[in-house]
Parts: sequence; structure tokens; C-alpha cells
Amino acid sequence: MGAETQFSNRCACGWEISGSEEEVVDATIDHGRRIHNMEATREQVLAAIHHPATGAEPSSETKAG
Amino acid sequence: MGDRTVGHAPSLRESIVGIRHEYHGVVSGPPVEWDVDSPVQAEVFVVWFDGERLQLTGPDGPQPWILQLGAVEHPVEVVDRIVRDVVGPPILVHSTSWRRDRDAVILSFVVVIDRELVGGMASVPIARAELTRSEATAAPRAIATSAVVEHGLRHLAWLAQDDPVVAAELPAGWRPLLAEYVPEPFRNLG
Repeated sequence: MGAETQFSNRCACGWEISGSEEEVVDATIDHGRRIHNMEATREQVLAAIHHPATGAEPSSETKAG
Repeated sequence: MGDRTVGHAPSLRESIVGIRHEYHGVVSGPPVEWDVDSPVQAEVFVVWFDGERLQLTGPDGPQPWILQLGAVEHPVEVVDRIVRDVVGPPILVHSTSWRRDRDAVILSFVVVIDRELVGGMASVPIARAELTRSEATAAPRAIATSAVVEHGLRHLAWLAQDDPVVAAELPAGWRPLLAEYVPEPFRNLG
């Protein structure tokens, strides 16, 4: 049983989250809504964490399997 | 369940000056930079009086607190609601200037709070700063945050003289401090 892929997200304000895909998405939406009045969809957060600006994809070392 | 971690970057100063942190190898890639990107945004400066000086704070410390403003939302209502939810009931909420920045129109707000609401939020004393002035027919090319705060407090100094509601609501000790600022009305900073 392999390790679950870990994701991360960082807000420009300095807030950071690392965890599973679901945890990062939920926490990012909650942070945006509470702190910045942002209404991000799950799809928007998923798109961002799967395709960060650097173009990096999840590392094979951290993929499940 | 993964190893969930949440928090702020280790150094507030690094966040303020924009230094990017090292990528931590246990995650899938470099952290995404998530940011407010609406065409109109609020920039909130939360200010409190410690008995001697005015201090700048916020949920992320003294850096500007950026809020998204929707097309049909009233900026003052949004700032009041978010500050109320995150920090506690504000004493005063005032828009003090606007400028073009971050690919958006930025409305700057000074929010006065009671010292009892500060809790564990990091604060820094507010130092005096030079204002950034426009040219005769053009906006300044760059405006420092310290200049925005300076103008915000000059605006509050003007309100303390001109607006009886503000004068009545300001906590004890504020008016002598604001008297040191040159009163200025709301204006465009760039």
C-alpha cells in the first residue's frame, strides 16, 4: 500500500495547506471564503493544484500505488 | 487520511517582502500561489491603539489584508462583514483612498478595532512615512504600503475633525495621536 499523494496550496497572504487532495481543496475554499471573500469552486482549486504555474505534475514518488 | 498540515508560512517578514519559500519534498509539487484576482479588491489595514502608539495588525499580521469584491457587493459591507467574522466587531470602517494595482482597482480601508480583539495577531507600530504624490497629469508609478497607511491615517485625522460620528467613535487616546497627522480627504493615490 503506497503513500497517498500529497498536495499543497499557498495563499499570497502566507497561509499554507498540505494534505490529501480533498483536504487541500476543502481548506482552500474555506480559507478563501472566510478570509478573502472569495468563492472558489472545487474545480478551480483542483485545476490549480494539479496544474500549478510551474507546470509541475504530481511526483511519481508520491503517487499511490 | 493524509498528513494534513495547515498554517502560515514560517516567516511573516518573508511573506511581506514576497520571498518564496523552498518547496517541501513530501508534496506533489511547488505550492500553488492562490490569490485574490477580482477586478475590484479591498485592501484592509486593521489599526489599534496600544495606549502609546497606533499598531497595524490583521489575521495575517500587519501586511495588507486583501478581500475580493464582487460586482454587486458594497465594499464597505464586505469589509465590515469579513472583519466582524474574522477579527470581531470593528469600531470604524472607512475607505480612505483608491489606486490601480495588482491588475485591479484597489480600495484601501482603515479599520479601527479595540485592543481586546487583537489577541494573538502579530502587530507592528505604525511609523510615519512620506506620501507618494501624483504628477500633474499622471499617477505615481509605485506606491509603498507605508504611504497608503500614512494617507489612511491622514484621512482619519480629517474625519476626526469633520465627522461627528467618527469623532465620537474613536477610542480615547486616538485624537491626540491623529492631531499629529495632516488631515486629508479621500483621494486617488495612483
